[in-house]
This record gives sequence, structure tokens and C-alpha cells, in this order.
Amino acid sequence: MNTLMRVIAYAVIIFIAAPLVIVVPMSLSTASSLQFPPPGYWLGYYASYFSDPGWLRPTWNSIVIASATTVLTMILVVPAAFALVRHKFWGKGVANLMLMMPMAVPHIVMAVGYYSVFGQMRLVHTHLGVILAHTCLSVPITFLVLSANLKGFDRTLERAARSLGASPLQTFGHVTLPILRPGLLISALFAFIQSFDETVVAIFISGRDAETLPRKMFDSIRQEADPVIAVISSLLFLIVAIALIAPHVVSALRGRFTTKGQEKALIAQ
Amino acid sequence: MSSYLSLKGINKSYGDFVALDDVNLEIKKGEFVTFLGPSGSGKTTTLMIIAGFEKATRGEVEIEGLSLAGLDPQDRNIGIVFQNYALFPHKSAVENVYFPLQMRKVKRKEGMRRAEEMLELVGLKGFSHRHPKELSGGQQQRVALARALVFGPDLLLLDEPLGALDKNLREQMQIEIKRIQKKLGVTTIFVTHDQTEAMSMSDRIVIFSQGSIQQADAPLEIYHRPKTQFVADFIGESNLLAGKVVDAASGILSSPVLGDCTYSGDHQPAVENGQDVTIVLRPENLTISRDPIEGRMNGRMKIETIVNYGDNALVIGLSGGVPIRVRVLGADVVILSEGDECCFSWDEDAIFLVAE
Amino acid sequence: MNRMISRLSEQQNLWPWLLLLPLSAYLLVFFAVPLADVVQMSVTEPTLGLQNYEKVLTGSLYRKVFLNTFMTAGIVTLCCLFVGYPLAYLMAHTSRRNAMLILLLITMSFWTSFLVRTYAWMVLLGNNGPVIWLIQAMGFEEKPHLLFTRFSSTLAMVHILAPYMIMNIYSVMQKIDKSLILSAESMGARGASLFRHIYLPLTAPGIANGSVLVFVICLGFYVTPVLLGSPREQMAAGLIGHQIEEFLAFGLGSAMAIVLLGVTLVILGIYHRRFGLDKLWG
Repeated sequence: MNTLMRVIAYAVIIFIAAPLVIVVPMSLSTASSLQFPPPGYWLGYYASYFSDPGWLRPTWNSIVIASATTVLTMILVVPAAFALVRHKFWGKGVANLMLMMPMAVPHIVMAVGYYSVFGQMRLVHTHLGVILAHTCLSVPITFLVLSANLKGFDRTLERAARSLGASPLQTFGHVTLPILRPGLLISALFAFIQSFDETVVAIFISGRDAETLPRKMFDSIRQEADPVIAVISSLLFLIVAIALIAPHVVSALRGRFTTKGQEKALIAQ
Repeated sequence: MSSYLSLKGINKSYGDFVALDDVNLEIKKGEFVTFLGPSGSGKTTTLMIIAGFEKATRGEVEIEGLSLAGLDPQDRNIGIVFQNYALFPHKSAVENVYFPLQMRKVKRKEGMRRAEEMLELVGLKGFSHRHPKELSGGQQQRVALARALVFGPDLLLLDEPLGALDKNLREQMQIEIKRIQKKLGVTTIFVTHDQTEAMSMSDRIVIFSQGSIQQADAPLEIYHRPKTQFVADFIGESNLLAGKVVDAASGILSSPVLGDCTYSGDHQPAVENGQDVTIVLRPENLTISRDPIEGRMNGRMKIETIVNYGDNALVIGLSGGVPIRVRVLGADVVILSEGDECCFSWDEDAIFLVAE
Repeated sequence: MNRMISRLSEQQNLWPWLLLLPLSAYLLVFFAVPLADVVQMSVTEPTLGLQNYEKVLTGSLYRKVFLNTFMTAGIVTLCCLFVGYPLAYLMAHTSRRNAMLILLLITMSFWTSFLVRTYAWMVLLGNNGPVIWLIQAMGFEEKPHLLFTRFSSTLAMVHILAPYMIMNIYSVMQKIDKSLILSAESMGARGASLFRHIYLPLTAPGIANGSVLVFVICLGFYVTPVLLGSPREQMAAGLIGHQIEEFLAFGLGSAMAIVLLGVTLVILGIYHRRFGLDKLWG
């Protein structure tokens, strides 16, 4: 039993790793169509990505849309999270469920709705339209992450601040906000990624003018023509890989320092 | 007695649940008062009402005759040390202590100097730039104390501040808190459920039970002259026995266990002939012997259990089906064994009556 | 201003609603309205009536597509379980360091855009790709066609959704009290019986969570089946997109969308009743 499980598990590791491993060498390939192993290596397709407005424009659009979505989502979700975590009131359960709904509805269903309603509102093919739709879809995950952080917040800290002479507003600014900052940043990051990765709604409503990167990638993979797709795939993968590995490296380095610092502190006592 | 802080008829209820029932208390300036009681007895609720975090359903909190009713917590000028210290994790020790001064618009340079001074007073010179998580529990405790004192509060509230510390550190901090409180002369309310802590630190102990004050007196007074059965049971160990007053004028009562016996009249509550009372006998005021002792009152019991503590032992016996607890010095216990029949005796001034 | 805020906060019924108001209003306009529009279109396009639903629920093409969708979702869920359980088990029973490394790999996969992962599978399974090369190297003459089949889209979906399953099962396994296993062993449970009577029931909540999540996401999956699947074996989401984009058949597309939504909500509803939805996403 145990050995069988182990063998399967190792096979699964290869299964999960293989697609990730293959992306970067593909982007360096000289072949103009899908071919692995590559016949030769060069950086030519990187050069064409960074000089092709057909790719740069969607990239930029995605960054703009994801940033705006993040800001809008946070403006809406932060107060709501405070209300739902910190207050008891009639209808709280229903409100909680309503917030989660955009996560339960398949994106294709929302895409049909936005296609029709935004069409009538003249919001299709605009940045604003995509931002408004993405904000909606980002609400649940952002709320989940933020409220988990908020639940872990020790409210006696706020009481302490009040007793020390801080008004509610000062307490929020000097104590609540700075302590919640990491949680806020992480939930904002989730909102950003949710928007940056969102494909289905973008395919239906972003059009040529507000074309997002996932939409462009979708079209490109569908047409199976443009080798630049390998470049952008590698870049996206590398960003994720670096973002995930960097904290480990930093904490491993810092871990050394803090243990040294703690030793010093112990000796000093 | 000139009163500094007054609690007048405080009631607090949550729906049908009455958390505080008519709490009245007067505290003098500079006094160190301890609120003692089991959890859920209302002591922390009272503290939170004084601090302004909870609103009393009825009643008033006054400092020097002025009601605090309209004041938000930040305007009350009350220093609080919370159970978990509630130090701001994103600020260093000195910044934590500077915070109340910052809120009072004290210039940074001046404020930081005063914060440093206060840290020195609590014995944390040289630790000012540590963040809370780089400090030990005792050190965090000191920072919290410094922070609650630096702005010269009218009142200092300590909400079970020593609960998280281990025993040695706890005793050290008890002495330390007392020293600093005396030095600054700040009126202090200390909440705890630890009676030895209350005994050793306080000018006065206020005993809470089920939302009301049972007794508010000096520690020894509480110990020796409990006013209610709850206090007698809660403070120290006691044998609580049912009895009836036979002759109040000459101090004679009868009890199914103790038989007829006399008690000294001093400091006893007013009782009438024929009144039912509870007799309080402290285990350490009882003596065990083989035979009755002349000049003392004696009872008989059969020893059930002996619990040894090294320097002393607790002997639990049965007398007329009622358990009797006797504290015995360690040396004396060797002559006793479980199942022995023996006598227990007491002086007449060892008896305290509780009339309820 | 401060006073006003604290006054407001004392009237506890008003304050939370005030905080919730912007988001509620937003969701009403940009979530509920578009959704309601889909419902409306499904019964009014092109003419008023239930003919779209009639078609969707009885037409052989649609029935085939929905059947295919459920089949695929079911197969993907089972595969994820088959793939995820052993890996979660390995993670829970290997050294901390190895568990961390595997976790890193899984999160890396999870956070990598599924378009990127879909593309990677296209390379792996392509006619000039390593899998075909491997098959030929093993001596098979015939070059199988892997891409644009049910096989390729299922494989890619399993790869994309497996992290959900693994994380759910792993988080449950991690919390299992080791002494429970030891005491079961001391009572004579061994190998398969230990697994069946102790380990499996203890990890059941993780399996349930992971399966519901994978199944529901898979039901509405659009991108990967469209890009990697066989055009002759479409899934529901793909056909909805097709109806809208190619044929401008808003009514039919909407009716399909509502049926899809209905099924999804029924599954989530049953789950919510039994376990509470808030647990689903950890």
C-alpha cells in the first residue's frame, strides 16, 4: 500500500512539474512551431515580444485593468469585511453568502450577462467595462483573504489605543491600519491576480480596444501560430516562481540574522 | 473618608442576563484596590465600565464628584494594563510608551525623553528600541505598565496583568508594581482571580460574586471576618458548618457537629437568639490531639484522608457525617494515620459567624 | 466628525449596513443585473416563452453536450483524487523539508496562469512533442493523435485543478493526530484495514471539499476544453460561448447558461447545507 502510494506520488510530482519545466526552454527555441526538444536556442522571440505592440498593448491593458480593479475592489471590500467580521446584525449570514456568489457562478454565465448588459450600456470594448466586471469577480476571494486576516486581529490593541487617548479615527490610523497592512496587501494582491488572470469575461467583452493579455494569449494559442506565446508564458511563470521562491530565500537569510539577534538578546539579560 | 472614585448603583444587563447588580464602591485617592472573584463574577465588566468600553445600563462612575458618563474612553485619562499587555507590535518599546503622549500632542523630542524616563523607572533602561516580540513576558509587562503611567493618569486599571507569567516572575512583578504604584501615588484598581496576589498587594480587596460586591475590606479583615458565606468559602480554606444562636448576649450557639459552644462576641455580626447562622472555622485554627484538650472546645472525628504538603498537611476527617478540614504542621502529622479516631479543638475566638 | 462616528457605531444596527452599502449596491448593479439579464434573455430571445429551455433540455445536441460536461467533470474529479491523494499522503509523511518543496511546486503550478499551463500541455502532447517522441521510442509504429481530443483536455484540466484537491486533502491530513494512527496500530489495524477504517474516514472531509470544488469549477470550464478539446465533444461552457459569438443565439446561450448555473448552485447548495460553504475555500 505504502510503496504503491509513494510510486504514484512521485509520478504525480513529475506530472505537475513537467508542463512548468517545459515552458522556459520552449521560449528560447528557434523553431517557429511547437517542437520539443527545440532544434536550437536564441532570444529572438523575446526581442519580438518586447518590440511588438500587438503583445505590449494587451500587457499594458492588463496591468492597467488589474490595478484599477484592485483599487476599486479594496474600496468596496475593506468596509464590508469590517462590517461582517466585527459586527453582529440581522441578515449577516445572507450578506456573507451574497458576497460569495460571484465565486459560485461560472464565469461563462457572467460573460453572457456582461456581453448583453454592457453592450446596452456601451461598456463593451472599454477598459472601464472590463474593470467593472473584474471587480465583481474579485470581490469574493479578496473578501475571504481579508476577513481571515481581520478575524485574527486582536481588538484589545484598539481598546488600548483608545484608553491611551486616541480617538476612533486616530486608533484606525495609528494602530488598526498599520497592523493590518500585510493582510491588506495580500488581499489586494489576490484581487490583482484574479483580474490579471481572468480570461473568459475578457474574451467576451474586452474587444480590440481593451484587449487583455489572457485574451491575446487565448487567441494566439487558438491560432497556434505565434511563437511569442512561449515568451509571455515563460515570463508569467518566472514572475510566479520568483515571487514564491524569493520569500524563502529572504527568510532563510534573515532567519540567520534573527537567531543571532536573539542569542545576543539572551546573553544581554 | 474622602472619596476619589465613586461607583454609584451600577447595573449592567445583556438582554435578560444581569452582569452587574447594583454595584456601589468608594475608592480613596492613592488607594490600591483589588477586584477579586471567580471568572464571570463581574469584576472585569466593572473595570470596562470605568474605562468607558462598556456602558452601564444604570448608575454613574464619578471621579472627584464629576461624572464620566459623557466621556469617550480616550477622554477619561485612565491608564489600563490589559491581560495580554496589548502592546502595539509595529512599534518599539519606547514608541509604545510615547504613544499616549503623541495623542496628547506632546512634541516628539520631549515625549520620547519622558518615555525613556518611564522605561527606566520600570527597569527597562536599554531595551527601548526592542519591539514587543523581542521582549520576554515580564519585560512586555513592564512596557505596558510604563505606557499606562507615562501620561499621568487619574486612575490605573490592571486587568489580570500577571496571569500569563510564571510563578517566580509573578511574585517579582507583584513587588515591582506595588513599588511603582507607591512611588507615583496613582489610584489603582487591580483585577485578579488569584487570592494570594490580592492579599499581598492590596490596601483593600473587593470581592465580586455573581455580579455584585460581597465585601470590600482590608485583606486581613476579609480573611478573618468574612461577611458572607461566599467570601468565607472563597478566601482561604474554611469549614462551613450550620448552627443556631442560643444566647446572643453571652455568645452561646449550638451546632449539630460542634454541639453547644461559646464564641467571643467581638467583631461578630448582629444576631438574634434562635437565628440560623453559618459557623466559619479556618483549618489552621483547629488543632488535632488524641484526647480532649483542657481550656479549649473539643470535637471528635475519624480521619479519612491525609494530604501531605511537606511543611504542613491537610487532614480531612468526618464528624457526624460532616467533613472537617484541619491544617497540621508537618512534624505533627507522623503520629496520625487514616482511620484513626481523634479530637479536634479550637479557641472561642476562632469562631466567626456569618448571618445570611 | 469623531463624535458622529462613535454615535453611529453605538446604534449598532445602522453602522454595519452603512459599511456594506457600497459593496451591496455595486454587486446589485454589476452582478445581479447582468445575471438577471441572462435569465430574462433565456425566456424572451427571440420570442417570449420557454422554447429555449425546451430545446436545451430535450434537443439531442444539447443533451449530449451536458452529458459530456458531467462525464468530463466526473472523470476529472476522480483523476484529481487519484493523483492528489497519494501526493498529499506523501507530503504528510515525508520530512518537513521535502513537504515544503512539494508544496512550493504545487503553489507554483497553482499560481501559474492556466493559459500558460494549457499552452504547455499543447507543447507536451503536440505532434512534435516529447510524449509522442517517447511513445515512438518505446517502439510503437503508429503516431497517436493526442492533441484536440478528450484525452488532452481532460489531462490538462486534471493538471490545472489537481492543486485544489491536493491542498484540501493535505490540510486535513496534516491535522490528523499521529497518536490516533499509533493507537489504531496498537489495536491491530494494519495496512489496508488501517487505511480503510482509520485514515480514509479521517481524510473524508478533505476529499469532499476538494471533489466539490474541482467538480464545480470543471462544470463551468471554458478555456482549456475550447483550446485543447475535440471540437466534436464540446463542453457546456464552450457551446454557450459558441452560441453567443458565432450564432448570436442569445436566447439559447442564456438558457444553457442558466441550466449550468442551476446545476452548479444545486451542488453548492447541498454542500452548504451539509458542511457550510465558508469551509469550501478554506
